[in-house]
Amino acid sequence: MTLLAQSPMSLHDTYAAPVEHRFNPYSENGGTILAIAGADFSVIAGDTRQSEGYSIQTRYARKVFQLTDNAVLATNGFAADGKNFVRRLKQSLEWYQHNHHKQMGLKAIARLIQTMLYGRRFFPYYVYNILGGIEEDGSGAVYSFDPVGSYEREACRAAGAAQALVQPFLDNQIYFKNQQPEPGAEPFVPGRLPLSTVLGLVVDSFTSATERHIEVGDGIEIFIVMAKGRSPESLLDEKLGEGMTIEEVPPVGEGGEERTFLLSGPLKRD
Amino acid sequence: MWGQPMSAYDAFNAHASFPLPMRSAPKAQPVSHTQQPVVTGTSVLGLKFKGGVMLAADNLASYGSLARFRDIQRLHPLGSHCVMAVAGDMADFQWLKRDLGSILREEEALSLTDNHPSLSAANIYNYLSIIFYNRRSKGDPVWNTVLVGGWDEAKKESFLGYVDLLGTTYSSPTLATGYGAHIAQPLLREAFEAKAGLDGKGELPTAEEAEKLLDDCMKVLFYRDARSLNKYQIATITAEGVKISDSKSAKTEWGFAEGLRGYGAQDR
Amino acid sequence: MSSIGTGYDLDVSTYSPDGRLFQIEYANKAVEAAGVAIGLRCSDGVVLAVERMLHSRLLVKGANRRIQSLDDHIGMASAGLLADAKNLGNRGRDEVHNYRDSYDSPITVQILSDRMSGYVQAHTCYGSSRPFGISTLLAGVDNTGPRLFCIEPSGVYYGYHGAAVGKGKALAKTELEKVLAKEGGVTCREGVMEVARIIHLVHDDNKDKEFELEMTWVCAESGGKHKAVPEDLLKEAEAAARAALEEGMEED
Repeated sequence: MTLLAQSPMSLHDTYAAPVEHRFNPYSENGGTILAIAGADFSVIAGDTRQSEGYSIQTRYARKVFQLTDNAVLATNGFAADGKNFVRRLKQSLEWYQHNHHKQMGLKAIARLIQTMLYGRRFFPYYVYNILGGIEEDGSGAVYSFDPVGSYEREACRAAGAAQALVQPFLDNQIYFKNQQPEPGAEPFVPGRLPLSTVLGLVVDSFTSATERHIEVGDGIEIFIVMAKGRSPESLLDEKLGEGMTIEEVPPVGEGGEERTFLLSGPLKRD
Repeated sequence: MWGQPMSAYDAFNAHASFPLPMRSAPKAQPVSHTQQPVVTGTSVLGLKFKGGVMLAADNLASYGSLARFRDIQRLHPLGSHCVMAVAGDMADFQWLKRDLGSILREEEALSLTDNHPSLSAANIYNYLSIIFYNRRSKGDPVWNTVLVGGWDEAKKESFLGYVDLLGTTYSSPTLATGYGAHIAQPLLREAFEAKAGLDGKGELPTAEEAEKLLDDCMKVLFYRDARSLNKYQIATITAEGVKISDSKSAKTEWGFAEGLRGYGAQDR
Repeated sequence: MSSIGTGYDLDVSTYSPDGRLFQIEYANKAVEAAGVAIGLRCSDGVVLAVERMLHSRLLVKGANRRIQSLDDHIGMASAGLLADAKNLGNRGRDEVHNYRDSYDSPITVQILSDRMSGYVQAHTCYGSSRPFGISTLLAGVDNTGPRLFCIEPSGVYYGYHGAAVGKGKALAKTELEKVLAKEGGVTCREGVMEVARIIHLVHDDNKDKEFELEMTWVCAESGGKHKAVPEDLLKEAEAAARAALEEGMEED
């Protein structure tokens, strides 16, 4: 982690003053998150394990949070920073609603997150954020951030402990990297996959990451935000995986026409 | 301010005699904070059971490797249905007790006036987590790891939460800090899951089973943790309220050690 | 009061030629108009009671309490402007907190009365402030035993065996004297019955509005803490008070 790394010099510098044991205000609590945008939906997911080193602290700690009726945020990294960042963000969003009598749009939330993160440029929130939801034009969107606020809109993003495992898979499946269209077929366009395909990719990403990464597992929570006019029936009729449950998440505000669902299930615990 | 009565603090401290003036305070130096624990307590354990939650902590406060204070209570009741079990710096623990005590007292005083409900374990836990996170963000951490156990009168369910000096928080039906997280937590989880199932939705352990389990864990910790003491207490929090046991000891057997090199007189 | 202020009553920092502070006397008027508050120092604790007038039928039952807690072991009842009482109560809790911070022990009722009276007195010294429109009963059990004090709008305070402030205090005081004349004093349980009776006696059914009886105590039964008198005991006391009143009427 470049943020936390000691400079290599200090390890060998025998002439330095007596070793100073400075309090390290950061920790790293494992886990992985990802989000994928569709044409009229967005899927934001995370596992529920929280760990420190080789210890599992808890098998259920939430890292994906509903912010508004059309925005969901996944947060990963140092859990205490994550929790407090989300708390502050939700307060800001509530004040916005009181002041403007409407919920903040997705694009604006993305900018707000960047402002809040960059505000702590010299004592950063050690958190990787992925924001997913429905844009004002009705399209599904994903925004990803680094800890100090650099951000962009994408079709998909994975972050956290198993980013290196999941992102290449998404690059291949969502961005069609290293794939050729059949001769004469339509060219690939990212961000157009059907919901059922996307959910399959998300679940496969997490089961695979659970197999290969010790900090990923225990449980999965998948938030699905659907644009207005999209029927959720396709989702509710879906044959769910082993032990998975689905519920509709009640709206934060008065409830627009967007709807949010939470699909949750178990992952391996070893 | 002119024409106004003095604030309570100024009236009480009319001659600015407190805090005592520093004779040669080096003003140029940065403020220094407690940056390492001094007198410390070792791991604490927590476990949910049918109808409540239990916490365990031994009675030792160490000064480095010296077993300095051997009769310290590290389980502290907060109100009628909440207990915190504290590991780490004992000075910070005493400060916490004072701080929470005054808040609870004021809250209690106001409750008679307004009839509002008293602070729940979840409220106290949240308050603690905010203090710990804010202090770590100032670079002046409260050097403790705390388990909060309680019974929620309104929801009729038990509460168990962890918070540490970084402001890290989490909940789980079994919790352990420090060495306990490595040594006791696996034993706690194994026993808890055997009864309540992997999802924890089955029947929880009974009070007797829970106490027996904590007794076993405290014994194992005493065998393996050099900063522990075979004298500990268990706090039980149920709908009836808080009960903190007298100090007790586990029965230990050291006969096996006779055959070990490094144990006893070093003449072999 | 015979005189009108003739210009000497416009603020509290000006004496009248005969050495009076009219604003303080007016504050006392505010107290006398309020429902009675009674404190009784018993052999095993203290009892506080107030007659809380219900100036509207729309008020929530049990709301707008006139007795506050200052510390675990000290309660405060007031007669006069409720808003002033709330402010003084906050100051009291501040003092209690400061004391515990400095000395790591609970404040005594005597010292708390002294500190709070200083605050009340300070409001009689500056042109920019108005005296408290309340008389305050402070009651508690500390390491010196049961204690009861009364702070007046001037800031003066005295310790009492029994005290009454507010409307009908004269009659209440006469009754308290009779109660306290009993050999060996009274216990808190007896005190609750007596005080409830006195409040019902003092209350003028014809002239006054309806009221709720508010009662707290500090005694062994409340664990040495300032707590509301248990519901059943309060009901019992009120029933007995009403019965005694009717008996008295028949005799007349």
